[in-house]
Amino acid sequence: MESGEDATGRHRLHLRPDTLRDAAPATLHLLPCEVLASRPAPVERFFTPAIRQRADGLEVSFRGRTLRGEEVVVPPGLAGYVMEADEKAEVLTGLGRKHKSRVEDDGEGQTRPEPLERGFDRCIGATASFDRFHLWGLETIPGPDAKVRGALTWPRLAAAVHAPVPED
Amino acid sequence: MDLSELERDNTGRCRLSSPVPAVCHKEPCALGVDEAGRGPVLGPMVYAICYCPVSRLDALKALKVADSKTLSESERDRLFAKMEEDRDFVGWALDVLSPNLISTSMLGRVKYNLNSLSHDTAAGLVQHAMDQGVNVTQVFVDTVGMPEKYQERLQQRFPGIEVTVKAKADALYPVVSAASICAKVARDKAVKNWQFVETLQDLDTDYGSGYPNDPKTKAWLRKHVEPVFGFPQFVRFSWRTAQSILEKEAEGVTWEDSSIEDQEGPGRITSYFFSEAPRPRPPHRYFLERGLEPATIL
Repeated sequence: MESGEDATGRHRLHLRPDTLRDAAPATLHLLPCEVLASRPAPVERFFTPAIRQRADGLEVSFRGRTLRGEEVVVPPGLAGYVMEADEKAEVLTGLGRKHKSRVEDDGEGQTRPEPLERGFDRCIGATASFDRFHLWGLETIPGPDAKVRGALTWPRLAAAVHAPVPED
Repeated sequence: MDLSELERDNTGRCRLSSPVPAVCHKEPCALGVDEAGRGPVLGPMVYAICYCPVSRLDALKALKVADSKTLSESERDRLFAKMEEDRDFVGWALDVLSPNLISTSMLGRVKYNLNSLSHDTAAGLVQHAMDQGVNVTQVFVDTVGMPEKYQERLQQRFPGIEVTVKAKADALYPVVSAASICAKVARDKAVKNWQFVETLQDLDTDYGSGYPNDPKTKAWLRKHVEPVFGFPQFVRFSWRTAQSILEKEAEGVTWEDSSIEDQEGPGRITSYFFSEAPRPRPPHRYFLERGLEPATIL
């Protein structure tokens, strides 16, 4: 964030921790294609009922193409969340009130709430949680070499890389 | 004709056959092959074979079977019922190819076109009859594509059988007419009782003929577009008509095997002469291989 050259791309993120507790489990599907839109889709009406269990894994079709799938379990020690950013200003106002206790010294011995800037401060919250998901490949089961399986190994490596190294 | 197996799962293909008449095991038989529902953008394509001993072809002819296209639905139903009555010497088998199977074949990474799918299905049904012990000596086929090539391919596959592939075979040979009736009866029944995999809100069952040039069919397609999923599986996504409606009325989708030109416009020619901006250092291979990117925008 701090290295961003472009001022419009800079944000200060606030995670709404209460949403993590309340996030209901969701069934997720990771498709081998990109839908060039972000919008709700009737997955339960169109996609889920079309899934078939074959001898060697799951099968479904999307837009007339065969997808083969399998379940991927989120590695132990990690939790999956579907995060959404709040766009609305009233959320920020709400956040301001909630975070009244978070204060900073204004240099004159008085404290005031940290000001929030519209367009700079953003709130994200979890809308759902998951501990497994369906991974789909175009006509073939993604298998152990799937990119996302590799991606799931990053948090452990990152923790090791960023862990403080003892002096001696 | 019991299509309940298809109604249980109509996402793939479904084969159905009559019992083989005892006489067909012993006596040399003629077998006809025909199809129904090749052109429509909706519903399954049905391949059918019908066979009887060569010595009984006159009896089959006496039923006054004709090209199914020249018959009304009730006449076809009546003729199929008559063939069922003659089950002591007439046998049939069907292969129902679901619209989902047709779409996924034609839109596969390796395209499997409708002609190849048709040829393989027809050959599969002839083989099926032989596997059931039918003594097939003559095969008559209504052509798909060039009759000469098709005949050559089938003749090669079944060297011991006399193969005849002809345009309008459904009007020329009673066994092919009978097969065309079986296919059409099955297709009509499958469409009428189609079990939609999807839960559809206010489903309209007035599809029209199902042919792409029928205004009713087009209106049905437009009405049932879902912006993300496209259409129900009842629709053949690989049909030009279906694709062009999706291009206009559904969200775009890019696949990993979509061609690069489709995804990006041509670059500016000046990019070959000047470096327009300092190229950012690419991420480490570790991240590239795992599809990981730093999250810089929300």
